[in-house]
Amino acid sequence: MPISEPPQIHRLPQSKYIDSVRWLPPLSALDRLAVIAVFDSDSDSSSVETHSFTPNSATLTPQSQWVSPSRISSLKTSQSHHKPLVAAATFSGSLHILYGDSMDPAYLQSELSVPEKESHEGPISCVDVMDGGSECVSVGEDGRVNLVSLGDSELSYRRVFDSGGLVSFTAAKWASPSEFATGGYGFSLQWWDQRKHGGAVSQFKGGWSQPSTPGIVHSIDIHPSRKHTCLAGGSLGTVFAWDLRWPQQPILLSGVGAGEATHSPCESEVWEVQYDHYAKSSNVGNVSSRILPTMICSEDGEEPIELLAEPCAINSFDIDRQYPSDVICSLEWESIVILTRP
Amino acid sequence: MPGVAYDSGDTPGALGSNDTAMVPYSPEIRQPVVYSIHHGLNPPIARLSISWSRGNTLRVSVLRPPSGEDSEKDEVGGKVVEVRLSNGDGENGDANWRRIAYGSVPPFALLQSRRSSVASLSKVSMGPSLYNIDWWEYVMEYSKDINSLLGSSKSLPNPVIEDPKMVLRKVEEPTALKAAWELMEIFYADKQSQPWLPERLVDWLADHDSLLSSTQPTVHSKLVDFQNEIVRLQVIEDDPKYWDVLSSALSVGWIEIVVKMLRLHGSYQLHQLGNRETENGLVETVSILISKMPRMRPEVEDGKLGECFKAKPDFIKAWEKWRAQITKLDCSAYWRQCDHRQTREGLKNMIQIMLGNTDNLCNVTCHWIELFVSHFLYVRPFTVGLESMHSLAQKCMQLKPMSSSHGLIAILLGILGENTEVVLAECSRAFGPWMVAHAIELLTTGSDEAELLLQEERDSLGGISIAELHRLVYAQVLSSHPLTWQIAPIYLTSCTKQGMALLEILLYKLPIQHNETLLKNIEICRLYELDTVSSNIMKIAGVYHWKHGRKGAGVFWLQQARDEVRLSRIAQQLFDSVGKSISDESFKQWEGLIELLGSESKATGGLDFLHKYRDFKKSLKQVYDGKTTDAARQAVESLISLMKNPSTPQRFWLPLLHDSLKLLNWPDRPLLDVSQTTLLLNKLQELSMAKLRPDFIEADLPPQSLVSVRLALAANLGRATLEE
Repeated sequence: MPISEPPQIHRLPQSKYIDSVRWLPPLSALDRLAVIAVFDSDSDSSSVETHSFTPNSATLTPQSQWVSPSRISSLKTSQSHHKPLVAAATFSGSLHILYGDSMDPAYLQSELSVPEKESHEGPISCVDVMDGGSECVSVGEDGRVNLVSLGDSELSYRRVFDSGGLVSFTAAKWASPSEFATGGYGFSLQWWDQRKHGGAVSQFKGGWSQPSTPGIVHSIDIHPSRKHTCLAGGSLGTVFAWDLRWPQQPILLSGVGAGEATHSPCESEVWEVQYDHYAKSSNVGNVSSRILPTMICSEDGEEPIELLAEPCAINSFDIDRQYPSDVICSLEWESIVILTRP
Repeated sequence: MPGVAYDSGDTPGALGSNDTAMVPYSPEIRQPVVYSIHHGLNPPIARLSISWSRGNTLRVSVLRPPSGEDSEKDEVGGKVVEVRLSNGDGENGDANWRRIAYGSVPPFALLQSRRSSVASLSKVSMGPSLYNIDWWEYVMEYSKDINSLLGSSKSLPNPVIEDPKMVLRKVEEPTALKAAWELMEIFYADKQSQPWLPERLVDWLADHDSLLSSTQPTVHSKLVDFQNEIVRLQVIEDDPKYWDVLSSALSVGWIEIVVKMLRLHGSYQLHQLGNRETENGLVETVSILISKMPRMRPEVEDGKLGECFKAKPDFIKAWEKWRAQITKLDCSAYWRQCDHRQTREGLKNMIQIMLGNTDNLCNVTCHWIELFVSHFLYVRPFTVGLESMHSLAQKCMQLKPMSSSHGLIAILLGILGENTEVVLAECSRAFGPWMVAHAIELLTTGSDEAELLLQEERDSLGGISIAELHRLVYAQVLSSHPLTWQIAPIYLTSCTKQGMALLEILLYKLPIQHNETLLKNIEICRLYELDTVSSNIMKIAGVYHWKHGRKGAGVFWLQQARDEVRLSRIAQQLFDSVGKSISDESFKQWEGLIELLGSESKATGGLDFLHKYRDFKKSLKQVYDGKTTDAARQAVESLISLMKNPSTPQRFWLPLLHDSLKLLNWPDRPLLDVSQTTLLLNKLQELSMAKLRPDFIEADLPPQSLVSVRLALAANLGRATLEE
């Protein structure tokens, strides 16, 4: 991708492990808030912190902290009734919803939670909040898919599916108020529709990756303007798109099995994928022209097309919806990087 | 245990008189730290077991004797207490050490890869001279990268309005770690600056003198004290301290401070200039002479004084000239016209310092190293070679004995004494394993003897070299922390003898509960081509998930590991639940797992049966839903292929046949031909035989099912024979 100017890179060491990073949807144009899931190995404690970001000096200033009962496995942000919302799922299986104050959005005031061993047995691997913040989907290694309604004073959950451990889910993403996608082992993807009962509406199996070994889907993204296409990233540098209209023909964007025609930016785990609203789609050639530009981060510590190359893994990132030129990333070596693209 | 003396910093009191110890161990250097453990158990205590826990924590298990008859029932049998050891180094917290550890990975890895490429090059074309020239430059680059991690010695931004009475610049607190690193860089790595070594020591002391204040007074601590008093002094030149501090600062070559302080002299004040003209002239002359001091160095930083000379002859010429000017001033007649006694004596004292009067130097310096450095500036600017430096240091120490030793001084003495073992031991004691592992790169560059000493493989160390030993120790430290284990492989793989074996142990011991850690672990295996380790880890993960009820994940990892044996074992367990559940609505649950199993080409351990069984059930369902003969034919195909397949468990034979009764009794015409029917009959026969075996599992079916199946098969055989 011809980028005339390299992005500005700000490295911010944290002295704590960063499990996940997200931008918090702003209430006013002045707010620039980041939510960080932190693991402090010295005290063996986990917490969710909000930091305000000052673009001019590129600094993060801690604003508030919420102590989590267990290490955070998945972190998502959204907005509900003019309040920012943070959903945090843990390795012990509990789910927590934190609301920011409407006056001071950085202050995480109230917490609603589903305790561990209730909705999930074992770790929750992914949680996703529906736009508008009225419902979230949580999936786990235990093979359960739960829908959690966010009430005023409590959370109530409904089990959509329970494989009894026969299938484990590792990723989830809403497509519309009634549909969502999940991903799991063997590069499998499932499409669910709340209006139809009895399991997934459509299944995609990773059979195309033969004879190379299949891997695990780590992250899914669905573009609001192309709801029928599911973008997934996982093991062995694999990034593929699954179009519901041609469910047995995935489009392989990157990966070991991808052959020579496709550019393979990395060979290791792709930890997160997101559609990149900032890049121009015209920059992407050949196969991918059907797919909008995407950004990934990986165990190699690289982001295509080389926005950032680190000597250690980049574990998560988030593109600011309000300011899509800004990307926040968490690095394996206890630090955060903020990229500002020209 | 050989070489234990190196780690003596971590274990005070251990093995004091060990014959294999490489440095004499002096137990008085560190006070032992006492931690009290509150276990709350009643005596007697029968056993204590101590092991390392996470990071810097000790796990102490306190056990009471096995309960006899007389002991109370509710007494606890023992307790496990974790004791967190503070890391003896006050200036660096855990988080900062980790930051340094992360940051030193790229320079270390770069240096190692350069070493191996240089080694392979020198094999092709023998060019030792070329190798030497290039090599120290690489090491210097490495050293600079590491040095930048240890903190910056840059001064804080100057205030807009400079306070004339602020003689000390505000700088970031220097760290002993950085000071030690720079010391080794100066002596071992920076070959380019060797001719200017004395001047580099002057700079080093200027940056780090404050560190020595912790053990005894220094010129720096004198300056700090005076800085605090300066505001209260009305007539500064009347205070003997003013002249004392001036001489001290001059003796160690902090000439910017000296010149700035001289300008505070009262004779510079406008209303005094008239009556103190001669006095002021003398002060100004001295300060100009000081600021013109010739220095044997390529350049000075901005804002620093002195005239630099790169070449020795130029410097000698300038130095002689400068001293001649000072001598001339010393004999000047103006001194008699100077009425102010303190000024006269103070300036005269400074002149003696500049002329290199050793008594004066000894009087105005505090620490022996300050006296040492002052000799380079004013007495012997051409001191070269470690030997002459070492004898000078001995002399200075005799004149100014230390009350207590500082780690930095011990390292410096080791360097000057060309005693690599001492340097290593002191580095280890003062700064721990990180320092030793990284400083060895500098030490080996220092001299061939050091390189030989550190790289030689020793039987006393189990066949590894000292360099490898320390790298392994550091890698162990990294491995013991949940956040730094990932960088340990970089150090382990640079250890040729035992590194890979330890790496395998490390990878095996990592937790596999969370996919992230597991995948990062497998990624490291892939990077270093440890396929066996990787597949074993996958097996461990597979069994772990299986045992925790996550059957899909278990099957996935065992498949990845191509572990046929375990797959077929768990297949038997899976089939147990299949028989009960797959037939009804919960079919959806199985769908995902069956998809995961994929085609037959992969390792399935008999699990491909599930795939075929699902197909059979599907077509059978269509038959029952009232679909056509085609569906029925397909169902028959599936049935036959299932019955032919050796991986179909025996206990499924009868249920399969029982489910297929409708196919066997197909109304229009027989669906099975003679050979197919015979196959099924044979299977039925086999089953009757198997019934006699004790391990036979009876299918959960109505009692007359066997009879009805046999009847249906017989009828079908008859119809098929007729048809043919």
